Amino acid sequence: MNKNLRNVILICFSIVLSFFLFYFGTNGFQAFTAESARINRLMEEKPIFPDVTLEDSKERVYPFSEFKGKYAMLTFIYTSCTDVCPQLEMNLAEVYNQVPKELLGEEIVFLSVSFDPERDNPTTLEKYQYFFNSDGETWRMARINNQEELDSLLDEFGVIVIPDGEGGFTHNSAFYFVGRDGELLEVMDYKKTEAAADKVIDTLLNDMEG
Amino acid sequence: MKKPLVIGSLILLILIIPPIRIYMESIMIIHMLIQLPLLIVVGWFIGEFLMDKAPRVFELLNDNGIPGIIVFVAITMFWMLPRTLDEALTFPLYELFKFISLPLVGILLVDSWRKIKVFGRVFIFLNYLSMFGLMGWLYLDSPIQICNNYLLAQQKILGWGFIFITALMVMYVLQYVFTDHSAEEDISE
Repeated sequence: MNKNLRNVILICFSIVLSFFLFYFGTNGFQAFTAESARINRLMEEKPIFPDVTLEDSKERVYPFSEFKGKYAMLTFIYTSCTDVCPQLEMNLAEVYNQVPKELLGEEIVFLSVSFDPERDNPTTLEKYQYFFNSDGETWRMARINNQEELDSLLDEFGVIVIPDGEGGFTHNSAFYFVGRDGELLEVMDYKKTEAAADKVIDTLLNDMEG
Repeated sequence: MKKPLVIGSLILLILIIPPIRIYMESIMIIHMLIQLPLLIVVGWFIGEFLMDKAPRVFELLNDNGIPGIIVFVAITMFWMLPRTLDEALTFPLYELFKFISLPLVGILLVDSWRKIKVFGRVFIFLNYLSMFGLMGWLYLDSPIQICNNYLLAQQKILGWGFIFITALMVMYVLQYVFTDHSAEEDISE
């Protein structure tokens, strides 16, 4: 009897243990891939955009703190990308077009950051902008020349970039919505442009009223 | 009987050597289908040693083999989640957990496998057969990259790896079902 009871208790214990393993391993059955876990983690941590030096398509060089006091909508791209980046930028353009004109550049800037500074020089970025009707002012495209700064930014915002050996990169994609002090507010699904635009516009309008 | 302990520790040591570890983890299929199973094999050897040394502990904690097999299934399934492979590369704590939990699972397996009866073994075997098939299908069919650290092409290779294992398991079942085992049963009964 004693032995049977012990067996039952041990079986229950191992089931509970397994449950907790999966519960904590998937953030409460929410995140089964590292990408969803990464986004959950970012939202909790709310990292600050490190003060990197940008060089944009108009060959202007300035630190990210230039945008202090404004919201920023970011994407991470490289222009030789043939699959996801054009889609990502196309969707960013959709969000961009929905934001009221008077807020653009005043309250919010759009910024596409290239993680391929070698090839994405200002001329290339200028050309790339053209495809998405980005004006280079309220929606800028920029590279970060200092590799250390670039790495720290990618690391801080959880962007994983792997060279695929054929001149391209594999990378995760999302919209990054950054607050007035450079703090990361939200990581948004780049396929849901409506939701992203609503979120951005709501935040801007609420903030201006308050 | 120190031999299993030596073999187990030796494999573990080889797996831990940084260049070997990093190389194995850089290729998705080697990471999942060679490194992880080898860690379980390490546990299997160490388990044989421990069972010899301290049989009382196993009797006390894993008398009928069921608690052990439950934990075995849970932890192996855990390491088949696409997320865990990724996290092991990003977080040292996850990596450490991998090198502890999988040998542990091997220890539990060697003990439990002897204790659970034929029915239990068949159940576990078929469970893994279907699970591997499902994983293969998942990795092959996914149009998007599931892991951040591995490319889509690697994912496909892993998918085929799972399908290959599933096929081997199906073949094993077939040959087992259609061959005569009456002689073996006489001996074991």
